[in-house]
Amino acid sequence: MSGRRLPIAEAMRLAQLTDSALPVGAFSFSNGLETAAQTGLVHDAATLEEYVRDIVRQTARTDGIAALHAYRSRLREDYDGIVEADRALMLCKMNTEARQMLRRMGRKLAELATLLVDDAAMSRWLDDAKRGAVEGSYPVAQGILFAACGIAERGLVASHCYGSANMVLGAALRCVRVSHYDTQRILYRLSGQADAIYDEISDMEIDEMHAFAPQADILASMHEKGSSRMFMN
Amino acid sequence: MTSTFAAAREMRPYLEEPKAMHVGAPGKKGYLYLGFELDADGKSIMRDWERHAPLIVQQALYFDEAMPEMPCVYILSSGGPNVDGDRYEQRFVVRRDAYAHISTGAATKLAEMRHNFSGLTQRFTLEAGAYMEYLPEPTIPCRHTRFIADTSIEIDRTATLVYAEIYMSGRKYFGEGETFRYDILSVCTRARRPDGEKLFREKFIIRPAEASPSTTGVMNGFDVFANVVALTPPEHADAIYESTEAFIDGDRSIAAGISRLPNGCGLIYKVLGAETQPVKRLVREFCSAVRSQVKGRPLPEEFPWR
Repeated sequence: MSGRRLPIAEAMRLAQLTDSALPVGAFSFSNGLETAAQTGLVHDAATLEEYVRDIVRQTARTDGIAALHAYRSRLREDYDGIVEADRALMLCKMNTEARQMLRRMGRKLAELATLLVDDAAMSRWLDDAKRGAVEGSYPVAQGILFAACGIAERGLVASHCYGSANMVLGAALRCVRVSHYDTQRILYRLSGQADAIYDEISDMEIDEMHAFAPQADILASMHEKGSSRMFMN
Repeated sequence: MTSTFAAAREMRPYLEEPKAMHVGAPGKKGYLYLGFELDADGKSIMRDWERHAPLIVQQALYFDEAMPEMPCVYILSSGGPNVDGDRYEQRFVVRRDAYAHISTGAATKLAEMRHNFSGLTQRFTLEAGAYMEYLPEPTIPCRHTRFIADTSIEIDRTATLVYAEIYMSGRKYFGEGETFRYDILSVCTRARRPDGEKLFREKFIIRPAEASPSTTGVMNGFDVFANVVALTPPEHADAIYESTEAFIDGDRSIAAGISRLPNGCGLIYKVLGAETQPVKRLVREFCSAVRSQVKGRPLPEEFPWR
């Protein structure tokens, strides 16, 4: 950090919007980890790290791209671009609980955002989400909010990757035999890959979103059909 | 027409012309069009077709014992495997209330590629009340295969389509075994209503050299992956969803899951397995569940030689 000046207000807002204490309900979700743990696929720190890496990589190529497009659309005041990012993202979400998670967290973040910033695009998008005119997904809410509070684009991707990793790692503390030290080590190592993730997705178009995680998809399906559940996905 | 795949960034490293017949040359640009409709007696028939080698079909046969009124067509490729620089296009139309079953005569082999890639563009159109099963044999990539498939479906909200794809990791029993040695598989499937409403879009890109597809969340050590889309009205989808099991069976080395597609357009069924036959069997059972729900009859037993 020595050569570059990161404005402290920006850094603090980035920390605030990335913190697991942000009241958007992330702790209710496990992104398939609950079932992965129940079936024994994830059972220790090593298998957890592999699973988290898969989830982060796959969500960056869908949610991350949508968040970036929403962010840039908000910066150039292109509301239609925001709506399109939202729609394209939900078209590629292949299970009900994933769609519910994105809508629920998106709504909560947008409601919080209207208390933090006075932003016309955010207010309009929240109104549209309430009446079902837009999808209201979480990555799009993140994109609008980060642009509205002047956080750099890389900060958005950092927050997105951190959030998707931390959701799984937070759930892991409750359903996999790992310690806080294990999850912190995993998170620290994963951060080392995030620049490469940004480089991969930063110039991708909306219609280039892609994901390949059939085992995670099957876990999501088992979760959806299962009865004993602690998490909402 | 998107068969040039100009928008596919992932194929840009592979645009060199093969040192053989050029891309688009006769024999390298297969085209198949099949149109099904009800005849005056209400029987579903293959009414019109167009074939450009190496994609060929013979006449429709009525060999399905559980549904003898269903025209069945096997697509054959006279050229053997798909080779470097091949571009195939398939277009299927099932008109009002007609029905059809399509498969391939054998597995689709994708050859080793050195300069360019092999591409497949597919368009499905299903009109009101139409019913179609598209259950091809598996696709087998080999070392340095580069393959892109782009499938667009236009479907009326009263129609049903079962669209299945099975991908193997490679020629598992060739030589010392060849799994995940291909360069790239890029597969995109999307659907919309006749009025343009978008229903879903799924794209996956697998580049084994970049990231192992065997990790826990991806293929989890399995070698065969089936992706089956069942587009059908919600009342059918609900019943099929309820009756379809999601499981991981470590003893039998097979796993399957079912999810609801966005916009209430149907279901997606995914199967992972160590070997092809058990995966094919589950895909067939799933298709049978769809047929039972929609047409009131199951699929017959598969032929023993398939």
